Amino acid sequence: MSVKREKISWAPTIDYSKCNFCMECDKFCPHRVFERQDGERKLVVANPHNCVVFCRACAKTCGPDALTFPSKPETITRIKQLRAEEEAG
Amino acid sequence: MTRAILSCTGLDKSLGSLAREVAIRSAEVLGCELVCPVLLHSAPARYEIILANGDLIVIDGCPTRCATKLANQVGAKIDRKVLVTDAVKASGLALEPSLSLGPQGMQLAQRLVDALVRDITAGIGTPEDLASLKAPDDYLIVMQDKYQFRIPAREYAFTENDTWVRIVGERAFVGVSDYIQQKMTDITYVAPPASDDAVEQFGELGTIESAKAVLEIIAPVSGTVVEVNTTLIDHPELLNDDPYGAGWIAVLALTDYTADRELLLDGAAYAAIVQRKAAAEAG
Repeated sequence: MSVKREKISWAPTIDYSKCNFCMECDKFCPHRVFERQDGERKLVVANPHNCVVFCRACAKTCGPDALTFPSKPETITRIKQLRAEEEAG
Repeated sequence: MTRAILSCTGLDKSLGSLAREVAIRSAEVLGCELVCPVLLHSAPARYEIILANGDLIVIDGCPTRCATKLANQVGAKIDRKVLVTDAVKASGLALEPSLSLGPQGMQLAQRLVDALVRDITAGIGTPEDLASLKAPDDYLIVMQDKYQFRIPAREYAFTENDTWVRIVGERAFVGVSDYIQQKMTDITYVAPPASDDAVEQFGELGTIESAKAVLEIIAPVSGTVVEVNTTLIDHPELLNDDPYGAGWIAVLALTDYTADRELLLDGAAYAAIVQRKAAAEAG
């Protein structure tokens, strides 16, 4: 995909009412999307643009089902739109 | 051949209560042995014979997959799996938050039992009838430290999500790349898509699983599943041994390949991505 990654919004969102900070997602993700920190929110999505577009593998590690992703069809439409804009000029 | 069920007992979660209920009811219907995860953990010898001789059904309550991890730890081969969270979502019913199952929970339990029993008694397709795909001869090689990742130079198209498609006549074979199979390590379980499933490009085509991770297989093209490589259910190791040939996952009848192609990568472009990913992981 020739579209710049920064223009595509695809990354996990953490539902803090469900997250139990087990850190399984962070341990799993090789792309350093998450970052651990001090304070109440011990885990944040620090590098959303490192997330591989359409990958949802971290959500498969999440016991409390606290991770969600954008809609795939909407993201595909957006990517095609951006490609068309780039080609047009 | 005896059958055994290893289930999450999830004492502190309603999904655990549901998993436990499904295990007990299924064991009654199918005449299976029940394997207690706590006892298996503390005294694995108790179940050694059952696990060595039987087909193991694993029931996980949530994606923490304690039961699966335990089965992997004791080296038991998994024959079938149920992930209760997914089944609940698919059913459209809501599970009561209480730890004891309410009427909805009981109804869900029975549905899951029926589905599992149906799946097991129906058996799987005959691998002899399956399509076959021969791995290519010509590869691009990406090197990173002691690792070598092979990428077919021609005929295969890829996604950034490490899946490939190869068009043979009217058929589109799909599978996963050598890079991802090496990263996953030994693949222990394959949940293929169902025949006749319609899938969009970048939609889900089942999952594959190793001790390290569960991976959603991302469809490189849109289409309808016309064939599923059922050999992988008993021989998931084919995905490691021959990812571009005998380890194909499904065959799709294409719906709009001209449009799908725009978002696919050729071997060289995918090789550049593998190089980048492998370097980032090494660093």
